[in-house]
Amino acid sequence: MAEEENLTKKEKRELRRQERNVESDRRQKMRVYKRVMVWAVAVFVVAGSIFGIFWLLGSPGGERVFVGAVLQDDQIKGNSDAGTTIIEYSDFQCQACAAYYPIIKRLAEEYGDSAIFVYRHFPLRQIHPNAELAAQASESAARQGKFWEMHDMLFENQQIWSNQRNPEETFIGYASAIGLDVEKFKSDLASEEVENKVDRDYNSAISAGINATPTFIFNGEKIQTPRTYEQFRTLIEQSVGSDR
Amino acid sequence: MNNSEPLLNNPLDRTGSSEDKKFPNWIVAFLLAVSLIGFIDAGYLTLKYYQGEVPNCSVFEGCETVAASKYTDIGGIPLALFGAAYYLFIFILTVAYIDLGYSKILKFIAYFTIIGLIVSVVLVFLQLFVVDAICLYCMVSAATSTFLFIMGVHILKNSAPIRS
Repeated sequence: MAEEENLTKKEKRELRRQERNVESDRRQKMRVYKRVMVWAVAVFVVAGSIFGIFWLLGSPGGERVFVGAVLQDDQIKGNSDAGTTIIEYSDFQCQACAAYYPIIKRLAEEYGDSAIFVYRHFPLRQIHPNAELAAQASESAARQGKFWEMHDMLFENQQIWSNQRNPEETFIGYASAIGLDVEKFKSDLASEEVENKVDRDYNSAISAGINATPTFIFNGEKIQTPRTYEQFRTLIEQSVGSDR
Repeated sequence: MNNSEPLLNNPLDRTGSSEDKKFPNWIVAFLLAVSLIGFIDAGYLTLKYYQGEVPNCSVFEGCETVAASKYTDIGGIPLALFGAAYYLFIFILTVAYIDLGYSKILKFIAYFTIIGLIVSVVLVFLQLFVVDAICLYCMVSAATSTFLFIMGVHILKNSAPIRS
């Protein structure tokens, strides 16, 4: 009886030991499994993030937008019957736009016969407090037929008026310098028509998904902005060449 | 299999056991989330650098591509790439902590965040006083590295009594 009991105790111990072994084996396996899972998830998350970044930045080129047509009251330069259209969405207070200003001016002089250059307003109000008023000043000058004169004046003196608290007086000075009727300029600057014109351009840019300046719409297609004058010229050459 | 190693290496350091995770989960979650945000942000800037985007002004990014172009790289390597590597390193270390449970790893991260904070302070200073243009993505990075630093301080504060 006692032997039997003893045996059972031994057996029980053996059984418990086995159970413990199985349990620790299971734990060991779980631990390995957990570790693999942790690292797999981490790799997956990092790979997913990298993929996401590429996806975010992917396909920046030629995108069709519905702002390609030249409107009657657009500010234009060049030949309005030409087949090549370059629409620029720009902001007078934007440094990059000022950097493109001489490039576009030169191109417009060279290809004035075979292409049409359009300027549309996209004042980045959030980051450029004076951009909107500058756009309105150019539209006010346009009401006296001197849009491009004011346009040049604003870009050439960007450094001066950009940081002014209220550049209105400066703009009035430019108006007088380019020979505008200053009183009319002042009243136009305060008018709703001028405000609406700038707003219309701004809204068309928003609806086309434009979020940076300068943005160029080349023959109806939003293009990756060419880096240099030469690149721009090649683009126009190709388009003008195919028209001939 | 690695679980027993710290005990062998340093029998006095009982914090090395995988069961001994004395830092709350939210700290770990926070470290993972913030370092991942920083990684995505810096990764985005890195890729943009290599894409050779044309300078422009944008609603979301200001004009930093125009003004800051001088400061975006060190010897051809974009600053953003360093940033991405920094955040990825912290992310991987945090995952390593989840896996191994050594509180030393978190303490190392805590000290490491000081570097991120210093670099961020310098970059924000450059933006404000030299370049004079604010880059949104750089400010996001400054924010994430500041958060990481705060976490680091928290980690060091909480682990101090255990050390002594």
